[in-house]
Amino acid sequence: MKLRSIIRWEFRRTLQSKQFILISILIPVIMAIAIFAASSSSGGRPSGTVSGPLPAYVVGLVLAVILFFGAFLSGVMTLYSVVKEKQSRVVELVLSSVSAREMMAGKVIGLGIAGLIQVVAWIVITYFVAGHFMPVSLAGLTFVHWITYPIYFALGYLLIASIYAALGAVMKDVQSGGASGIVGLIPYLPIMFAAFIVEHPNHVLVRIASFVPPFTPSVMMLRIGAAQIEGAPQVAAWEIGLSIVCLALGVWLTMRFAARVFEIGLLMYGKTPTPRELWKWMRARRAS
Amino acid sequence: MAQPVLEVDSISKQFESVRAVDKVSFEVQRGEILGYLGPNGAGKTTSIRMILGIFQPDAGEIRVHIGDYSGRLLMERTGYLPEERGLYADATVMDALTYFAELKGMRRDEARTRVAKWLGRFDLLEWQGKKIEKLSKGMQQKVQFIASVAHEPDLLVLDEPFSGLDPIHQDLLKDIIRELRDAGAAVMLSAHQMNQVEELCDRIFVIDHGRRVLYGNLDDIKAAHGEHIVRLRFDGAAEGLAALPGVAELSIQGDRASMRLERGASPDAFVRSLPPTLTVREITVTRPPLHDIFVRTVGKENDETA
Repeated sequence: MKLRSIIRWEFRRTLQSKQFILISILIPVIMAIAIFAASSSSGGRPSGTVSGPLPAYVVGLVLAVILFFGAFLSGVMTLYSVVKEKQSRVVELVLSSVSAREMMAGKVIGLGIAGLIQVVAWIVITYFVAGHFMPVSLAGLTFVHWITYPIYFALGYLLIASIYAALGAVMKDVQSGGASGIVGLIPYLPIMFAAFIVEHPNHVLVRIASFVPPFTPSVMMLRIGAAQIEGAPQVAAWEIGLSIVCLALGVWLTMRFAARVFEIGLLMYGKTPTPRELWKWMRARRAS
Repeated sequence: MAQPVLEVDSISKQFESVRAVDKVSFEVQRGEILGYLGPNGAGKTTSIRMILGIFQPDAGEIRVHIGDYSGRLLMERTGYLPEERGLYADATVMDALTYFAELKGMRRDEARTRVAKWLGRFDLLEWQGKKIEKLSKGMQQKVQFIASVAHEPDLLVLDEPFSGLDPIHQDLLKDIIRELRDAGAAVMLSAHQMNQVEELCDRIFVIDHGRRVLYGNLDDIKAAHGEHIVRLRFDGAAEGLAALPGVAELSIQGDRASMRLERGASPDAFVRSLPPTLTVREITVTRPPLHDIFVRTVGKENDETA
């Protein structure tokens, strides 16, 4: 009942914020133009002219990138929302009405629903803007895409959002991330190696990274997308299954950890703690 | 006596090496206002946060008794005005207040009705659609107060409710706090303005360095800690005044005299002993203000530990 109120509140506030609306429209337009530029240059035609149909596998890869950025940006919104509430001290009043866990759950779910809407908007806008320049076919999306992408997106979001909620709870302000801030960049790493992953989807390092929860969503979506390239190796079904199990486990552990940091961090003002101090709090808390 | 609404039983809280709250116990009854006083950094906010369930105490227990219910804190039945004020600045007055009432377990439509009632009470109805950041500081203060009472709590914890309010609104707030008490709420009030506390509170609790230094009925505390102050306007000779029984201090200015009686001296004995050569025009016998008792008790504590 209360959780529902929190979710609705967070959801509505996000939808009403200017940044949200701006990002919802701006990102897909940039995406579509990037797709167009990339496909027309790879086709060897002078840019600006209408190119041939988009290669089928590109759709899957673009979708992977959109979903990952969607999860990532919604996670960042969680961080901002927590820091803002902490700074305005409204958190004290909220915590006299609901538990820190409920507050965190409400935020993560509420912002997640908003994030989902945003991602759908991105996909639709990208599809139509890109389709304006060249024929776009969804034939490249297989049954595997439809099943696994939503799972990786949802679990990936939960993982990133809980890490960010905890980070927000211990941060003094958005500028001073400190050493703990680097933790927030870990899930982002595979995207820097996206080209490598697409070219070598079954490289041993890539396969290992598939089972490391913060890397799983981006790595697996890229691998599954890359499998559509002609002659590319396929991703084994057991790898998909195991990666989802690992990710789900990772999400569960992270949420538990994050909820505790959230609880302790929220009412601590002053400087952002170092990871070592954080560890000390947690241990002290468990002992009491 | 009936079960107290709030029963705080020997709670303690340690932060690193600092013992913020040390075995604090007290009660708040239905229909009473307990003044919860202490200098800055005495452990007030920490103990209040424990009572509200924001922190858990390291030791001790907090129980509430509301109707047939006895047990741990009921967040839905508790209202809180934090000292560190904070509201959703970019939300409208109505939306934010409705949300806070919903967090206290109220249905949305019911919450809106109650909030509207309270906005009317504070003359803020026409502001309900405005964003909170557009309101003056005093108005935000009133909005924050409404957030603590809109769900009509059985236990109301007010931390510095008067700060930032002009005298007119301080009076309005006092009236409202009394009304809530008369309607059966248990009110715990923390404030630095001792005159406000004296006007409102039935009993007081003074905390310093995390420990209790005073607790009890306001009149009893005054009787135990204060000597009587007698102020006099008179005609005639004032020479004899200093020699009267029980006078510890005397100052005379023209036809006015002010005396502090010795501790334990009876004002009655003093009045009867006034010499017939003196014609009394006006006489008042009072206890020293709570302010003096507070400064003396807390000041003494600080000297001892320093």
